[in-house]
Amino acid sequence: MEQTIGNVPYVAPQTLLIVDDDAINRGILDNIFSAYYKVEEAEDGRVGLEKITAAPENYCAVLLDVMMPEMDGLETLQHLKGLGLVDEVPVFLITAESRDALMREAYNLGVMDVISKPVVPYIVTRRVNSVVELFRARKSLSSQVMKQQAELLRQAERIILLNQGMIEALSTAIEFRSEESGDHVRRIHDITQYMLEHTVWGEGLTRESTEQIALASIMHDVGKIAIPDAILNKPGRLTPKEFEIMKTHTTEGARLLGRIPQLRENGAYYYACDIARHHHERWDGGGYPDGLKGDEISPWAQIVSLADVYDALSCKRVYKDAFPRAQVLEMIRGGACGVFNPKLLDAFFSVEESLAGLYQSE
Amino acid sequence: MEAWKKEQLTAAGVDVHGALERFMGNEALLERMLQRFTGDANYAQLLAAADKRDAEEALRAAHTLKGMTGNLSMTALCSLFTRQVELLRAGDPDGAYAMLPEITLAYERIVGAIGAIGR
Repeated sequence: MEQTIGNVPYVAPQTLLIVDDDAINRGILDNIFSAYYKVEEAEDGRVGLEKITAAPENYCAVLLDVMMPEMDGLETLQHLKGLGLVDEVPVFLITAESRDALMREAYNLGVMDVISKPVVPYIVTRRVNSVVELFRARKSLSSQVMKQQAELLRQAERIILLNQGMIEALSTAIEFRSEESGDHVRRIHDITQYMLEHTVWGEGLTRESTEQIALASIMHDVGKIAIPDAILNKPGRLTPKEFEIMKTHTTEGARLLGRIPQLRENGAYYYACDIARHHHERWDGGGYPDGLKGDEISPWAQIVSLADVYDALSCKRVYKDAFPRAQVLEMIRGGACGVFNPKLLDAFFSVEESLAGLYQSE
Repeated sequence: MEAWKKEQLTAAGVDVHGALERFMGNEALLERMLQRFTGDANYAQLLAAADKRDAEEALRAAHTLKGMTGNLSMTALCSLFTRQVELLRAGDPDGAYAMLPEITLAYERIVGAIGAIGR
C-alpha cells in the first residue's frame, strides 16, 4: 500500500534565527549553533519579525535579545504571540537581565526559556537543542497521525464502495437469473434517485438518506432468489398457485436482508427491507403482501413500485414485449398495473421526459 | 593565539580562558570580536550622554557595554558597567556618572592591549 498518497511528508525546519543588535553576541551564538543548524541573523526585532512571519515553517528556534533599538525583544514576542507563532516556533529570550518582572512577562508571552547572558555554550546548546528535538518529534508525530487518519478515511471509502459494488452485483445476479438485463436495477436506482432529487418527494430528506434509499432500491427484488426457475422464467401466464409463490419474493426479500448482520448496521438497511417487502403494495390496498393502503405505504416504497412498473413496461420481458412510450404512460395513468398515489403520478409525469432519456441511449 | 597575546590581554583584565570557552575555542573569532569592541561606538556614546546628562541614552549605552564586556569576559570592566546600569536604573545618574573615571581607566587599558596584539 502506498504510504504518502496525497500527503506532503513532514520536513523538519533547519534554521535557527538569532535576533540581537550586538554583533559580538550574534557572533558567539552563531559560532555555537552553526554546528547544528543553518543560522540566520537579524540585528533588531523588526527585521527578525519580518523574517519569521515570511516563512515560520523554516525556523526551528529563535534566540531573542531583550534590549534592542527599533523593536525590543518583548515587543517582538508580543507580535509573535499575537500571530500564534510562539506555539509553532520555540522562542528563547537571551538576556543579561534577571529582573523578576521581565521574566514573568516573557513567560506570559509564551517564551520557551530564558537564558542569561553571557551565555555558557554547553548550557545554551543543551537547552535549545532539546526543545528543538521536542518540537520536531511532536510535529512529526502529528503528521504521522494525520497521515494514518487520511489512510483510514480512504479505507472506509473503499469499503463503502465495495459494499455498494457487492449489493449491485448480488442484485444484478438475481436479475440475470430471471433473464432480465442487469440494467434494470441500475435504472430503478437512477429513477428513484431522480424522483427524490427533482420532485417534492425528496423534500426533507438529507443527501445521505437520498443515497441510502437509491441504494436500497437496487435490492427491491432480492427475494426472487427464493423463487424456482420454472416460475421465475415461465414465458406464459402464471397459474394462481404459481402467482402465490411468485408473490413471496417480497417477504422472502425482507427476510433475506434481515439475515445479513453487516447490512443491519448500514443506514440503507431500514429502507431496503421496507422497499423489498412493499414494492408491490398499491395505493388502493390492492397490492401484496400486506395489502397496505394509501399513506400506510412509505414514500420510498411507492416510488420504487412505480419505477419498477415503468421500467417493466418500457422493456421487453420474458413474458412480454416492450410497449411504446405513449402506451406505457397510458397504462400507468389508467391503472393497468395497479393504482398509484395521484400525487406520486403528478410528480412522476412532471419528470418523465427526463426519465425517458434513460432508455434512449440503449 | 600566541601566548604573549594571551598574557597581554590577561594583564589588561580579560579572562582569556573564560572567553575562549564561550567562543568554543575559536581564537580567530575571539580576536575578531575584540577588534570589533575597540571600534564600537557605544563607549563614545556613553561619554557624550553623560556630558549632556541624558540618563536614558547613558543607560542604553552602558547596558550594551555590559553585555559586550560580559561576552568577552572583561570581568572587571563588566562589573563596573553592571554597577553603573544598576545606579542608572535606581535613578542615581550622578552616582553613575561619577564612575566614569574608573571605567575609563579600565576601558583604555583593555583597548590598549587589544591594539597591541592587533598590530
